[in-house]
Amino acid sequence: MLKFRKRTARGRDVSRLTLRLWDFTGTAILNLFMFLFILAYLSPLPFMVIASLTPHAQFLDANAPVLPSRRITFNYEGKDLVVYNVPTENGIQHWALYKPSRQSSEFIDPQHPENGTIHWVGQWRTLKSVYTFSPTLDNFKNFLEITNVRLYFKNTMIVALISEIGILCSSIAVAYGFSRFRIPGGKYIFFLLIATIMIPSNITLVPTYFLFSGHMLNWIGTWLPLIVPHFFGSAIFIFLLRQNFKGIPRDLDEAAMLDGASPLRILISVILPQSIPVVTTVALLHFFYIWNETRLASLYLGIRPDLQLISFGVQRSQTFFFTPETLMVGALLVMIVPVVVLFLSQRFFMQDMIVTQIEK
Amino acid sequence: MDIVNRSGAFSKSKPIKGTRLQQEARIGLLFLSPWLIGFIVLKALPILASLVFSLTDFHMLTPAETKFIGLRNYVHFIGDGNALASLFGSLSYFIFTIPIEMFFALALAAIFTSARLKGKRISRTLIFMTSIIPATSIFFIFQGSLQYIQNLILEPLNLPPIQGNGLLLPFMALWSIGPGFLVLYGAMESVPNEIYEAARVDGAGPFARFFYVTLPMISPAIFFTLVINLTGAFGGAVLLDRGYILRFSLSPMESYINNVMFSETNLGYASALAWVTFAIMMTLTIVLFRSSRRWVYFPEENSDVEI
Repeated sequence: MLKFRKRTARGRDVSRLTLRLWDFTGTAILNLFMFLFILAYLSPLPFMVIASLTPHAQFLDANAPVLPSRRITFNYEGKDLVVYNVPTENGIQHWALYKPSRQSSEFIDPQHPENGTIHWVGQWRTLKSVYTFSPTLDNFKNFLEITNVRLYFKNTMIVALISEIGILCSSIAVAYGFSRFRIPGGKYIFFLLIATIMIPSNITLVPTYFLFSGHMLNWIGTWLPLIVPHFFGSAIFIFLLRQNFKGIPRDLDEAAMLDGASPLRILISVILPQSIPVVTTVALLHFFYIWNETRLASLYLGIRPDLQLISFGVQRSQTFFFTPETLMVGALLVMIVPVVVLFLSQRFFMQDMIVTQIEK
Repeated sequence: MDIVNRSGAFSKSKPIKGTRLQQEARIGLLFLSPWLIGFIVLKALPILASLVFSLTDFHMLTPAETKFIGLRNYVHFIGDGNALASLFGSLSYFIFTIPIEMFFALALAAIFTSARLKGKRISRTLIFMTSIIPATSIFFIFQGSLQYIQNLILEPLNLPPIQGNGLLLPFMALWSIGPGFLVLYGAMESVPNEIYEAARVDGAGPFARFFYVTLPMISPAIFFTLVINLTGAFGGAVLLDRGYILRFSLSPMESYINNVMFSETNLGYASALAWVTFAIMMTLTIVLFRSSRRWVYFPEENSDVEI
């Protein structure tokens, strides 16, 4: 800054103006950088949307435009002829290919079909066809026909709803127990809770699979293995809720207790109304968890396609589709719900992530 | 670490009799009971069971013929090239992708603290958004883009197709910075301004301020992010679970174990492999926690910071 002032030989006003300009440039560069970063960071997403609206034929033509388009055709004598950009003496003409052959071809001028065929010397394969912008929903139609996304969606919502009730009730109760009661050895129980967060799911997978299998409970091919474990709470959610409950001043529960309120009553009428953001956060996180569930879905629902959940159902459909546009349709259908939920809830969802995490 | 003792609306009035305390403990345990039951049935017993399984030749299809074979599964693991390669793959996931994630999360958080940046809220949501995209979608986008590149660029030029899914890993790591970014950004925002002012008066430039003020002050958040990433890399619970790609698991060791479990139905060996992973992960976690005493800054001795 000092250097700057020395260089400008004129008075203070000029240097102040230069400084402001400098400041403005810095701000502009910073914001431009952020904008470009986000653009690059999210660039696969616009590509996904565009590709999902693009007809398949376009992916096979290296000369095709980027945006979803279709080839212009011209109906002549009951046949759909593809229109090409044909270079002639009078510039490039849009002509429909009538009779292709290797060295020279017959074309029709769509503007003047009455003139008959035009003889053109050259290799028609080197010509570029004429495209017009036209997004199509055919990919979605095809996808929905072969993959039963509606059923998967319904199944996922049912499983999410039931397990949501279970996980919220149990996690809230346990978090309340940890945050408000003196329990002998409670410190160690809490440490155990934190330790379970880090247990790799593989280590419990074999025995729990055996427990749910035909040898013991016979729950394979039902939703029970995906729902029942949530009724015992989740260590991460208990941790988040407990941190929040501990931040709530105890004066109110003491007052309620003096009035003779039971602990459960205090939880419902005093603690919960003050914890709506964190409870919503937990509910959303659990929803994302069920929505993204593929591992347990493949283990326990692999034999029951009619009970399948959305992520695994769509992922498995990949064997039927192996083209860019159908893959993009699948990607879009699976991610649209979590993204919309995030945008609807972004305000306190994001805020809460910050506040709760930092307490750690 | 004395939270539990300090807590308690029920303890403020001095306990006159032991029965009052006992009653409080009973009610407390009643509230804890869902998790305690779940812990015993779904965590503790399965872990012990898998330890027992790992010492046997337990096969899914023939549970009756199971025999105790001692440490033979573990010996088999040492000679199993595929298992060692998968384990190395999982470790390299930790070694390569976590630094990428941490670097980008830290850099973005640092930029976000600038008062000059406009539209922070929408940028934050957009950056976070990629972290909630299901693994299925990411996998499909990745595959679709590869095909597109294949059809339009590689094939006309007669280039060989792109092999493997090696690129998927860094791609996914970059798209997973959301939670870490939010945690670090939140931590940076909560550093008191006076400290920066003091550093500025002492002549610290922006870089010195970042390395000598910001980084030490947010070290608890960095530690937390590292633990969460480590847990995620080895298949533990994560805050935002985006699911699992069946054929290309993010953690090669995990998919190898699944393969042993379901294709070969060798549950005994699969349990042994899971125990090896568990042991390695626990060692890494303990090392991380031990090291935290050296580099993580805790504001007060008896603060609320635990774990």
